[in-house]
Amino acid sequence: MSGGWKRGALGLALVLPPLLVLAFLVILPAITAVVATLTPAPDATSTSRFVNYAEVLGTRILRTDIAFTVVVTLIAVAVVFCLSYPLALYLRFTKTRVAALLGVLFMVPLFVPVVIASFAMITFLVGHGLVSTVLYRLGIVQFPSLVYNATGIVLTQVWVNIPFAVLILGAGLQAIDDSLIEGARDVGAGSLRTFFSVILPLNATSTMITLTLQFIGVFGSFTIPYLVGGNAPQMLGVTMTNYLTQYLRRTESVTMAVIAFIIASVVGVIYVASVSRRERRA
Amino acid sequence: MRRTAWGRAVTVAVGVTLVAFLIGATGPTAGAQNPTTLNVYINGDTNIFDLWNKTLLPAFTKHYPQYRANFVPLLHGEGSQGVFDKILAAKQAGRPTDVDLWETQPSFVAQGAPQGLWVKLTNSLIPNLSRVPAQKLEAEDYYGMPYRGSSVVIAYNSAFVKNPPTTLDDLLAWIKANPGKFTYCDPNTGGSGQAFIVAVVYKFAQMAQYTGSAYDPKAESAWDPAWQLLKSLNSSMYNNGFHPNGNVAVLQLLSQQNVYIAPVWSDMGTDYLKRGLLPKTVRLEQITPPLFGGDSTVTAPLGSAHLEGTFTLLNWLLTPEAQQMVINAVSGYPGVDWKYMPDSVRRQFADVAKPYAPLPNAKYLADILRLWHEQVAGGG
Repeated sequence: MSGGWKRGALGLALVLPPLLVLAFLVILPAITAVVATLTPAPDATSTSRFVNYAEVLGTRILRTDIAFTVVVTLIAVAVVFCLSYPLALYLRFTKTRVAALLGVLFMVPLFVPVVIASFAMITFLVGHGLVSTVLYRLGIVQFPSLVYNATGIVLTQVWVNIPFAVLILGAGLQAIDDSLIEGARDVGAGSLRTFFSVILPLNATSTMITLTLQFIGVFGSFTIPYLVGGNAPQMLGVTMTNYLTQYLRRTESVTMAVIAFIIASVVGVIYVASVSRRERRA
Repeated sequence: MRRTAWGRAVTVAVGVTLVAFLIGATGPTAGAQNPTTLNVYINGDTNIFDLWNKTLLPAFTKHYPQYRANFVPLLHGEGSQGVFDKILAAKQAGRPTDVDLWETQPSFVAQGAPQGLWVKLTNSLIPNLSRVPAQKLEAEDYYGMPYRGSSVVIAYNSAFVKNPPTTLDDLLAWIKANPGKFTYCDPNTGGSGQAFIVAVVYKFAQMAQYTGSAYDPKAESAWDPAWQLLKSLNSSMYNNGFHPNGNVAVLQLLSQQNVYIAPVWSDMGTDYLKRGLLPKTVRLEQITPPLFGGDSTVTAPLGSAHLEGTFTLLNWLLTPEAQQMVINAVSGYPGVDWKYMPDSVRRQFADVAKPYAPLPNAKYLADILRLWHEQVAGGG
């Protein structure tokens, strides 16, 4: 009896600090922020509860920034996914030395701070950088600018995010029993058929986790769009910071944060659903 | 099994507590013997960080070994809101703040003044303050101590620009006549870009209306022609109107001869020329009407637990020795009156040390930045 009580108390004591941090540093400020955005300023044009939202969404450049953020995020996640999946498959099913070496190499970006990665990408992609020089030598003189725009943001995000995606996808692939794949082969399924009918469905959960976590990570990023992005449109992380620190417009900034939160929470729901589905199955 | 896990947890907890006690117990005694550490928070670009970290603070602690300095850089002012909130929160909680000196933008000094966050500087607290021209101190109501100044000037490459524009209108005409050879940094990332757009705003609006402390958003409709003009310049800018991030990026474009004319800070431009980072053919000049400039000030939070140390540092900053260091390291204008500086220094700055335009007040400047983003960069 007393052992059970002690274990319960220990469990509670271990859970309490993060719970308190969550309550006081995340949930409470979030609620205050939402309440603040629903309170019209004294000199506001309308007394509607949603006047702050109407103002933010009524500003053309902010609408553009929100759309830009969503589109850049979707493209970055799609590219990361398309590049990581084959790599994860290769690392899972190839047992050669080259594969082992690649397995170490692809991890490198995980250990490079984002700021350094961003500056490296700028040096690599700018007008007189390596990529431009190579293209120029190949006779391609006219090409769109690769940095200080959406292209630069996507390329840097891809470089930074591939290792994490490969890790999660790879972990899912490891969990698939070899006998299932051999079974599929035995009944005559080719590689593609095995992939689409066995591997992809069995790895659905880690696929969803990868996609949703990558989406939220890229969507909320600041450093990469700040350093590699252009003047306008900008991603929400940069816009919110500018509204808060440069334009001294706290309410607009918080309103944008709530809008960003709503968008991210839709993705969050998908994440929670896929994780809990896996746990039910386990 | 359960028993052992519980036992191990207890051992770890006891161990951690013991270590914490030991650290806590040695803390105060060790502090009494050691020098007082001053936390110096500095907003700025990397050149200003080097000035403090490599030059001023080591020299200060050498003179005054009873102090040690902990340097906290805030690149381009990132994190300033957090520093301000921290000082304010400490004041509201009636506790000392760990910020002993802060170099920040005027908007934060203005925001904190009515709440009594800063020390009001006087000659009796800082004897050397008497060398600073009074109007420089009045600009921030004696809450900020100017220790270096600079203004934005025009840098041009005389190898390509034979007849440099001397007025703003000449410059605007030159930009349209020489597409792709001018740029200014995104005003959200550097003062040299701000100075250029503010000069264009002043061209169409009464400057005096925006530099005082009064604020009326309705007065901003007068700026519309300025946005139209700046937008029309975008197609004649370097890289089709992409504005580089920060003052340094503009200097790099000048040094690679990608652009021939650009607004730069006088101190950064002089410094780059001195270090050979710009082609020798690059010259600096002030145009008419002049671009803005100002003094960089440091502010002492009233809640600092080491005010005596802060005052010692402030007083030392205004000595000829420290002021000469500022000029040598970042080619700034001195905070003290020019007459306290040697002749050689006054000659060196003859081309650029001309009157400069005042900055708009913090609220108008914030709106100028926002409207530039909406109307010019966003193409509104």
